[in-house]
Amino acid sequence: MTQQGQASRVLLAIRVNATPARAFAAFTEEIGQWWRPNGLFEFRRGRSGVLSFEPGSNGRLIETYEDGTIFVIGEVRLWEPPRRLVVAWRQESFSPDQSTELHVRFEEAGEQTRVTVEHFGWDTIPQRHAARHGFPLGAFQLRFAEWWQVMLRNLRDRA
Amino acid sequence: METPTFTSSVHYQDPKAALAWLENAFGFEVTMAIDGPPEAPAMCHYEMSVGGRGRIMIGGQWEETVKSPKSLGGANTQVVHVMLTGDLDAHCERARAAGARILAEPADEFYGDRRYRVADLEGHRWSFSVHVRDVSRSEAEAALGQPIVAKDWP
Repeated sequence: MTQQGQASRVLLAIRVNATPARAFAAFTEEIGQWWRPNGLFEFRRGRSGVLSFEPGSNGRLIETYEDGTIFVIGEVRLWEPPRRLVVAWRQESFSPDQSTELHVRFEEAGEQTRVTVEHFGWDTIPQRHAARHGFPLGAFQLRFAEWWQVMLRNLRDRA
Repeated sequence: METPTFTSSVHYQDPKAALAWLENAFGFEVTMAIDGPPEAPAMCHYEMSVGGRGRIMIGGQWEETVKSPKSLGGANTQVVHVMLTGDLDAHCERARAAGARILAEPADEFYGDRRYRVADLEGHRWSFSVHVRDVSRSEAEAALGQPIVAKDWP
């Protein structure tokens, strides 16, 4: 990401009772089961579906809706099981030059694995943009962080 | 790691340096990090835990009335106490090696904990303890030289 995008990092980390390999698998293969849509962070306005990864370094993160249509959230930029994952992250309302990026790390912590999620780039999305809902950056980041915290606890309960 | 009922928020002149220091000296882990914008780095929000347990918030001097001890001649208005598991003396040595100022060396307390007190890089005071043995009410009363009227002991 650009230096600009670095300025708005949102990081969350949690320990899970699993190996890095199991945590990576739970994160990628089972994202549809632990992910919960949030009205503030819809990929497409007024719609919510099920998330899934098309695995591999040429893979994608997609949302699938009840009618079978999909929205591509972003392409995989780094796929290094069981350690690291980087995927682009955009909402439908982003212009072609707007994007955020999700970085995930899986590190051994004794008997557990520390899962760290870092999201970069929200400062590249203007406050007046629909995706920001008019929130100042700090408030927006906190809402986003709290939502990710809930997601990671769901992941922990599955892993 | 459910959200604890009590959470202390500890403020630093340089919160990012504090995060690295607390990780290195005390073994804390970052669980949430929101960096402030480039023009207002004090508008940040960080949270840490110990081995996946508990929560402490780390912040900057985001307004005039929020100060680090470093900005107050070393004055503290609170001490954060942390209950650890494992080897307290090793924890103390790790902190010492990282440049922490040890205010009270590890010692066994009458109520059954082993404890030490320490100041961090900006002068915040912390106390760490590990429970090492259960102490009966009568033994604690003998150690104190007075009755304990609390309904619950320990």
